[in-house]
Amino acid sequence: MSIEVNNLTKIYKLKRHQKKTAVNNISFTIPTGEIVGFIGPNGAGKSTTIKMMTGILIPDKGSISIEGLSFKKNRKQIMMKTGVVFGQKSVLCWDIPIIDSLKLFKDMYRVPDDVYKENMASFSEILGLDEFIDQPPRLLSLGQRMKADLAASLIYNPDILFLDEPTIGIDVLSKERIRQFIKKINEERHTTIILTTHDVSDIESLCEKMIIIDKGSLIYDGTLPNLKSIYKTTDLEEIIKSIYLAGEEKYAKIC
Amino acid sequence: MRKYVDLAMIGIKEHTAYLNSVWANFLAKVIYLYMQFALWNALFNSNSGSNIPLSHVETIRYIIVATVISTFMECDVIAWINGQIQSGDVANQLIRPIDYRFMIFSKHIGTSAARFMMYTIPLGILIAVFYRGDLFIKDQLVYGIISILLAYMIQFLYSLIIGLMAFWLIVTWPLNMLLAAIYKLLSGSWIPTVMFPELLTTINMFLPFRAIYAIPVTVITTPMSFDNICENLGIQLIWLVVLFSLSEVTWIVGKKKLVVQGG
Repeated sequence: MSIEVNNLTKIYKLKRHQKKTAVNNISFTIPTGEIVGFIGPNGAGKSTTIKMMTGILIPDKGSISIEGLSFKKNRKQIMMKTGVVFGQKSVLCWDIPIIDSLKLFKDMYRVPDDVYKENMASFSEILGLDEFIDQPPRLLSLGQRMKADLAASLIYNPDILFLDEPTIGIDVLSKERIRQFIKKINEERHTTIILTTHDVSDIESLCEKMIIIDKGSLIYDGTLPNLKSIYKTTDLEEIIKSIYLAGEEKYAKIC
Repeated sequence: MRKYVDLAMIGIKEHTAYLNSVWANFLAKVIYLYMQFALWNALFNSNSGSNIPLSHVETIRYIIVATVISTFMECDVIAWINGQIQSGDVANQLIRPIDYRFMIFSKHIGTSAARFMMYTIPLGILIAVFYRGDLFIKDQLVYGIISILLAYMIQFLYSLIIGLMAFWLIVTWPLNMLLAAIYKLLSGSWIPTVMFPELLTTINMFLPFRAIYAIPVTVITTPMSFDNICENLGIQLIWLVVLFSLSEVTWIVGKKKLVVQGG
């Protein structure tokens, strides 16, 4: 499923007469089957944009169209096809064995038995899910919980997957496995993936395209190689640093 | 349908996840009931009950039935929604292809089922062993059950409305603390509402609280005419409609005002 975002704006009201424009007139398109790195410094408006794209927050202006569908009219249809992983928030029930949460999603998204079994087998194989499936999240390590969260969001074969910092606080090896898994899902199912992360190596190993925002505005929308050729270096971390720094300086001047 | 059953099962499992708290909860109910029992007995023995509108037996019957009903009528919905809003976890509930309110309701039903099995039935057995005498009017039991079901819905909708207000107030439990005190008094879960002074009775007429305990308990424990029963059920139905409409409005407003906490 493709995503089209047009002139998206979200304003938070802080106190009386005080407003903060979290997202300012952003437009971009993400075609079906792409993995897009969605990055920006802390507080740039990434999470707010993701929350609007997943239908949690209602935009103040602008529109989001997912394969021609809109949240106003086709909310349920979109939700059935969307998977979301928030690295800092678990979708799993804290005190309940993982397997029960997965069964809930199976019924909620009407997953046929054979698809469920097939997915469970592949989760066990790549993520080692079977080792901790009978335990509740409160007894799991962060890495295990993250893997379980990924499984819970992919059990119903979504067409779009939002990953909001999926590798935060995860050890190197688990990170590698999670990346491989994301890549495999994208290749096999042509899932459109929007990845938010502060980990440059996540982007290097997964994304073809990048969208960069800062202070609520879009500052780059294009391919990774193109960005590297603009800055004449292959060190992505350096590029991102200089982009963020330029943003900060601009802000200093305005003040 | 199965997803709702799953949610109810999760509600049951969540409520029974910590066995110690289940025991503590049950003991609290037993002690509370005994306290109520001892208090009212002492009150009637010292005063001969001349200026109390209910008789000694009727009062004891009332407080027993009210306490038994309270074991499964209690509702964690406000705390759930508050917790989800404060932590931002509500985001994970709103991305599901089913209505947030139905999810909460299904889980609440599960919790109530767990409460019924673990508190109501054992407490009922204890009462059957220790209390001699009839607790309910047999002919009115069917209406009593209907009334309890209506009360259950009213209780849920009331909690849902206060809970959903957290969508823009972020924290509603202090508001709930205030309301809880009013609720406990006016609903008739502590003191039978017929004992209230006139002013309080008049105020109570315009509040939904008595529809949660006073009406069902009275229908179960006090003989009354068919018309009277219908009138009481009618009052509950009206409150159900009013609260349902209010919850719809709160939901629509809340969705627009929601700010998900945390990055």
